[in-house]
Amino acid sequence: MSSHYEAPIRKPLVIGEKTYHDITVDVARPVEGRANKLWWRVFAIALIAFLWGVGSMAYTVGTGIGTWGLNKTVGWAWDITNFVWWVGIGHAGTLISAVLLLFRQKWRMAINRSAEAMTIFSVVQAGLFPIIHMGRPWLGYWVLPLPNQFGSLWVNFNSPLLWDVFAISTYLSVSLVFWWTGLLPDFAMLRDRAITPFTKRVYSILSFGWSGRAKDWQRFEEVSLVLAGLATPLVLSVHTIVSFDFATSVIPGWHTTILPPYFVAGAIFSGFAMVTTLLIIMRKVSNLEAYITIQHIELMNIIVMITGSIVGVAYITELWVAWYSGVEYEQYAFLNRATGPYWWSYWLMMTCNVISPQVMWFKKIRTNIMASFIISLIVNVGMWFERFVIIVTSLHRDYLPSSWTMFQPTFVDAGIYIGTIGFFFVLFLLYSRSFPVIAQAEVKTILKSSGEYYKKERDSKENHQSLNH
Amino acid sequence: MNTIYKIVALVGVSVLTTSCFNKERPNYQFMPNMYESVAYETYSEVPTTVFENGKEGQLPAEGSIPRGYEPEAYPDTPEGLELAKVNQKSPLAESDKNLEKGKELYTIYCSVCHGAKGDGKGNLVKKEKFLGVPDYKDRELTEGGIYHVITYGLNSMGSHSNQLSQHERWLVTDYVLKLKSE
Repeated sequence: MSSHYEAPIRKPLVIGEKTYHDITVDVARPVEGRANKLWWRVFAIALIAFLWGVGSMAYTVGTGIGTWGLNKTVGWAWDITNFVWWVGIGHAGTLISAVLLLFRQKWRMAINRSAEAMTIFSVVQAGLFPIIHMGRPWLGYWVLPLPNQFGSLWVNFNSPLLWDVFAISTYLSVSLVFWWTGLLPDFAMLRDRAITPFTKRVYSILSFGWSGRAKDWQRFEEVSLVLAGLATPLVLSVHTIVSFDFATSVIPGWHTTILPPYFVAGAIFSGFAMVTTLLIIMRKVSNLEAYITIQHIELMNIIVMITGSIVGVAYITELWVAWYSGVEYEQYAFLNRATGPYWWSYWLMMTCNVISPQVMWFKKIRTNIMASFIISLIVNVGMWFERFVIIVTSLHRDYLPSSWTMFQPTFVDAGIYIGTIGFFFVLFLLYSRSFPVIAQAEVKTILKSSGEYYKKERDSKENHQSLNH
Repeated sequence: MNTIYKIVALVGVSVLTTSCFNKERPNYQFMPNMYESVAYETYSEVPTTVFENGKEGQLPAEGSIPRGYEPEAYPDTPEGLELAKVNQKSPLAESDKNLEKGKELYTIYCSVCHGAKGDGKGNLVKKEKFLGVPDYKDRELTEGGIYHVITYGLNSMGSHSNQLSQHERWLVTDYVLKLKSE
């Protein structure tokens, strides 16, 4: 310890006099205990929402896309809005686990597990939309370039919708592998603590026989770093590809080169907001306040603020370029957003995304849990409307005034969206009761450098030494 | 040993999944969305509630004349044949005549009975399926008469107006006259 130097300015990441064993116990408690009534109630609500969504999806597939509010002009609305929204939410998880790992951010260790779970579960929700918004989803496998009996008829690799297929499926699989390798030591911990033969068996299977030898740890670290290095370009490219769905089109309001970075910034923005929402609840209900501290929330709020500002700059850039371009279609597209029939969604988006993160400049607000929680919800509403505004207001009025129309969602549109929210929470609630929600193996590596107790010890020793001199 | 089990399982699954195809019946289809025509296709069956005889091909109204068709000038009667023999002339201009095409059509529709040389010794006659096909050289043939016979048939010979258009019948007529002259 004497050789260790840690700047005294750094605040502790683990609060209290925690030992390695305390961390184990705290992380294992929600898994080993029984669910309380509140959990069951919330789970029941989520399950009902999910089933309602399944019904809406079955109705759509069985009856046809005409059950939605789409029309001939507006062929994409809630389906792709929700798709992009869910993909965007998923991005924070990979950002936390990969980018923050590359930047050696120790504070990611308490939140990366849940953030990655959020990624996986929200990408699953996102993955539903490309399938159910198809007119003939049972032929969805045609998007894959498989050798076949139609003279080996292949897909055209020029469409961003095909790139979406590769992007999303790669993203989901890489995230899943990254998440699972990180889980191995934690599952092994649960396996070694298991009392009943059933849980012992389950966690034995899940932990793949992890025994925690030096060689294993060495390789584990290398794999994590390589996967983080792979996941970082992936996370940037996935939402870039999603933005290409719009940016490569000829629609005024869509055809902009700013969309890829702006979508990625928006994804991080909404994703971090979602992580904040979830973790503020989780630290409370799972008694993890010692690990997910106010500092974690503050740091996430700062990222929300930064990415929110990037998004704000992007909005202003778009408006500037529209004016500067001299293209009347482009100018009208933005005039229509601000003053057209969907003005309310544009201004709601502007308020939620540009103004609300700016309050994070005040330390009082960004270190206030209630305020962070509310703003994180507002951001997600705003980001939903961002996608809605981009998609619908650009489509419903474009080149030919004779094709101008309005879009109105039906209860099926809403039912599917509610269903995916329900499905997300079904998965997340099940996860929070069966998986170690904090990467305890990682937190244990920072306990002695960033634990509150050890920091105090170190400070007092240093003070003692300086007194002697 | 494990590999053998896997191979056996794989073969078993392939046999199971491919053995349900019965050659006597049309095969199973996956989601036949636009396999069956919504419109009535030519020669297809039609519900008898739509057409009494249940056939897609309905007869045109009597006396109607489609564009590009001229009604036959001479009726299907012995008198009609006599008149045609004397009066009917080929409408083909010199540039429209095409003995090559006429030969092709003759080979397809006529030579099986009349013989490639028009000597009444077609394949069916040689195999004695039936007899009594005359040699063109033994008959008085005029272009109007040949055309009339192809159009309506004569004695054992049936009408060929179903198979050959008016233009094609004149081409065949020319070729028959050529065979007779050789």
